[in-house]
Amino acid sequence: MKNKKPFDFLLFITVLILLSLGLIMVFSASAPTAEKYYGNIYHYINRQLVFAGLGMAAMLLAANYDYHKIGKKTVWILLLVSIVLLILVLIPGIGSESKGSWRWIIIAGFRFQPSELAKMALILFYSYSLSKRKKPLDSFFGDLLPYLFVLGIIVALLLLETHLSATIIMISIAMIILFAAGAKIRHFAALVLPVTALVIAVITFTDYMTPRLRSWIDPWSDPRGDGYQTIQSLYAIGSGGLFGRGLGQSMQKFLYVPEPQNDYIFPILAEELGFVGVVAVLLLFMIFIWRGIKIAVHAPDTYGCLIASGVTALIAVQSLFNVAVVTNSVPPTGVSLPFFSAGGTALILFMAEAGILLNVSRYSRYERI
Amino acid sequence: MAAPGLAQKRRLMIMLCTFALIVAALIARLAYIQFVQGSELQKKAFVQQNSGRIISPIRGTIYDRNGKKLAISVQAGTISCNPNEVANNKKLTVDEVADALADMLSLERDDVYRLITKKANSAIIKRKIDKETETRIRTWMSENSVKGINIDEDAKRYYPNGNLMSHLLGFTGDDNQGLMGGVEEVMDKYLKGTPGKILSEVDARGGAVPSDSEKRIDAQDGLNVVLTIDETIQYLVSKSLDKAVEDNKVKGGAIGIVMDPNTGDILSMVSKPDYDLNTPFAFPANIQVEGLDPSEWVERSNESVNILSRTVWRNRAITDTYEPGSTFKSITTAAGIEEGVVTPDTITDDLPIKVTGWPKPINCWRVGRPHGTETFREAVYNSCNPAFVKVAQSLGIERFYSYVKAFGFMERTGIELKGEAKPQFQPKLKEIDMAVASFGQRFTITPLQLATAYTALVNGGRLMKPRLIKELTDSEGNVVEKFEPQVVRTVISEQTSKTVRDILEGVVGDSKGTGNNAFVRGYRVGGKTGTSETTKEDVYIASFCGFAPANDPQIVVLIVLMDPRGDSHMGGVIAAPIVGKIAEDVLSYMQVERQYTQEDLKAMTEEVYVPDVRKKTVAEAVKALKAAGLKYSIEGEGNNESTVVEQTPKPDSIVPEDSVVLLYTYKPESEQTVEMPDLSGKTLSEAINTLNRAGLNIKISGHGVVYKQQYVAGQDVRKGSVVLVEFRNLDNVE
Repeated sequence: MKNKKPFDFLLFITVLILLSLGLIMVFSASAPTAEKYYGNIYHYINRQLVFAGLGMAAMLLAANYDYHKIGKKTVWILLLVSIVLLILVLIPGIGSESKGSWRWIIIAGFRFQPSELAKMALILFYSYSLSKRKKPLDSFFGDLLPYLFVLGIIVALLLLETHLSATIIMISIAMIILFAAGAKIRHFAALVLPVTALVIAVITFTDYMTPRLRSWIDPWSDPRGDGYQTIQSLYAIGSGGLFGRGLGQSMQKFLYVPEPQNDYIFPILAEELGFVGVVAVLLLFMIFIWRGIKIAVHAPDTYGCLIASGVTALIAVQSLFNVAVVTNSVPPTGVSLPFFSAGGTALILFMAEAGILLNVSRYSRYERI
Repeated sequence: MAAPGLAQKRRLMIMLCTFALIVAALIARLAYIQFVQGSELQKKAFVQQNSGRIISPIRGTIYDRNGKKLAISVQAGTISCNPNEVANNKKLTVDEVADALADMLSLERDDVYRLITKKANSAIIKRKIDKETETRIRTWMSENSVKGINIDEDAKRYYPNGNLMSHLLGFTGDDNQGLMGGVEEVMDKYLKGTPGKILSEVDARGGAVPSDSEKRIDAQDGLNVVLTIDETIQYLVSKSLDKAVEDNKVKGGAIGIVMDPNTGDILSMVSKPDYDLNTPFAFPANIQVEGLDPSEWVERSNESVNILSRTVWRNRAITDTYEPGSTFKSITTAAGIEEGVVTPDTITDDLPIKVTGWPKPINCWRVGRPHGTETFREAVYNSCNPAFVKVAQSLGIERFYSYVKAFGFMERTGIELKGEAKPQFQPKLKEIDMAVASFGQRFTITPLQLATAYTALVNGGRLMKPRLIKELTDSEGNVVEKFEPQVVRTVISEQTSKTVRDILEGVVGDSKGTGNNAFVRGYRVGGKTGTSETTKEDVYIASFCGFAPANDPQIVVLIVLMDPRGDSHMGGVIAAPIVGKIAEDVLSYMQVERQYTQEDLKAMTEEVYVPDVRKKTVAEAVKALKAAGLKYSIEGEGNNESTVVEQTPKPDSIVPEDSVVLLYTYKPESEQTVEMPDLSGKTLSEAINTLNRAGLNIKISGHGVVYKQQYVAGQDVRKGSVVLVEFRNLDNVE
């Protein structure tokens, strides 16, 4: 069990390539916005380089910290801290509002997003708790409900933030970990009904989704309003062609695409590097997913397996969800692209999560391929 | 703590496959966007990114036939805003910006606020602001370092003559597009030009993107339009009409048209009331409409636009149809002579005549004391209706109306203006229709149609298409396109035309002719009077259509006065003198030589003493000079009440009758002088013309051609002086 091996080198390289590409794209995409609002084209990239450094440290630290030492106390503290922060973010004065959502807590000048921490807390809590179980998840009410209850609390708080994308990602990760942990298919089926009902209720009784659905179906119905960012995103992607305009040559980043260094960094990448570039990035994410699942399969124990599944699920769901949004394949919602989007909390935590994944790989039952 | 089992591994593989499928789907989606929709999206993105500054073309100038500017474009600012940047102002809040702008631009504050907070990259706040306001806004902007407000130079249309060409030109709208069916609208496609563009790549807020790919597509300025109109003639006609409207209390509007019969050129076309093209929406102070209160006038309101369209905006010369009345008898005359059913010497009479389909016989206008038996020429002089009914009857319906049609009365003239009305005839033309049509009743035409028909009548028989647009020129003055005069068809023979001219000259020239009031010494005016009834009781239309000189017509002049309420409503009384006056003014302006008859010369060479009119008022002086058989010209500012300070020639000089006495209303600091022309070899008539043009009077001795002149040619002579000229008969001298 303690026979440590070198970590999964291919995964490590993949993460490094994604991070490097991400930094290049943040610089390219953010320059006009940074120039416009801060008078300094390096504003975002400087900060992002700091976060990348911290992220690298976090990754290496996590890669070398035996995940078995993440015990009951740690996962509970992480979960409770996350829930407290998710409550705090809703209190005006502590949380900060942006476009009608409460997502950020400002600590010492740095914006901190509790939902990012909650994702990690949920993965570790689920993995730990599920791996410690003596019997399989046979009963819906007896076995499954406690996990859904914990998820329910987090989801309720996220919905209060009106943070839809985090809600969806949270539910997806939870479901995938439960699926990996052997929950019954029929229990999932039983969940489909209430979830569907919830979605329909949100669409019907709140205005939250109405403009999003309309602009998803026809972004050109309100090109200056709700459809604006989708249209600008499609303009960017469409302008890319096979090889793109060339690195740094995006036109759409000039204040057309909103937040080109953040949620909409992928369209800028598509515009500058073309189809070749986007396929390369998607394949890099695919390699990450493949290695992550391979690590889960080869994990020495259920805890490692579930952690690996959870982390892989997080990166996979979030990255693919982001690409789906910017290509208008799903209704628009704000979701960042792991390793690419500018933003401290997310990058450091993603790197740390990749580190945990690498750590699990060191205990693989098989020789590295 | 067990390693993952087989079931768990299977589930993990399902996960992997699911993600792989999603990745594949997303790649397909990206390929679709980039390759299938790519070119279209790229095009739209390009338009957005290059939505650069538009360079407005300069709208072409409209010139009169002599190159005088009738409509020009002057620079005027358009103020617009970039709402995103307005919100970023540091010194001022959006509310303060709205307040300040609303105040300076005289706009509603809420409207301004709505514009500067609009969800758009730019919004136009106000167009065509004047220089003063522009300067105020620029000062305010620099004082408060206002961002997001832009002032772009734009062109504003300016009409130097104000009212003079209102209906001919029309005005332009907010986007400088021509309106009102005038030349501005009809020639819009030539005048407007093509906008240019500065294709610098711009960001979403309209700022320039650092790049070297700035491309400039220059605007193509509009072409200039040269009209056939002569500004001076238009001015002469307009002034005469203003006076006529006032003198005769004309209520229904007035029309004056001057055409060149040889080309069909419209030299002048005036409709009254008119409006100032520079303020087309302003309260029409020149008309009286019941219940129209200047204080309640709202510019551009539906109601006010409605009133303007009904009144001052109407180009009556082409939009109003009326019964031409007796002016149409010339047409009947021409048809009769051309077809040989009548000659000037044919004996006829004006006894009441019965027409099938009409209970009452048709009388002469002078019912009480008819003219009795007379030649056809005299019947035209006297304007006797029955004589024309007889001519029409001899022609028969078919032949009569074939002439009506040939003279262009049954279709629009096709002038290059919008809104030309269609002539109205009875649907089925019967005997009675023809009988009354012979003297111009029971059908309506536009004034322009009548003037156009007269071109054919007097120019040798060719019906000309009215020409308003002469040519198009580019900004360097090169002619781009020329519009040649067009002969529509030949209607009558040269000989008939000559005979008709001769008869119509008599209508004016004969002291008993009905058109005698149009007589001008030396200019051989011909023409026909008209007094038309309308569908309204006691509402008449007085008109006169004339031409001059009768031997070689240079102009056709039509004057129509609608609903005159003065002492008379007879065309021969109130319209004829206006045509005479216009003919005289226009022909002397065109430097057409007068042809004096022996009678004229005799009248002109009778000598009179110049009375002393100094220290009298202008009105008194004019009266005294008229009594003495002299003409006058006023030098300097002044009205009838001004005092005459000086006169030339001096009192008690002996001058020929009709000489011009100059009345100075100011003390001439230095005497006005003119250059003595060379008269050698000229006839009496030529010498009088030459001296009058130079502003000098003549004292004649002898007869024949000029033998000696008092001052040598080129010498400076006081204006108005009497110049002694000796004549000798040099013919038959061995």
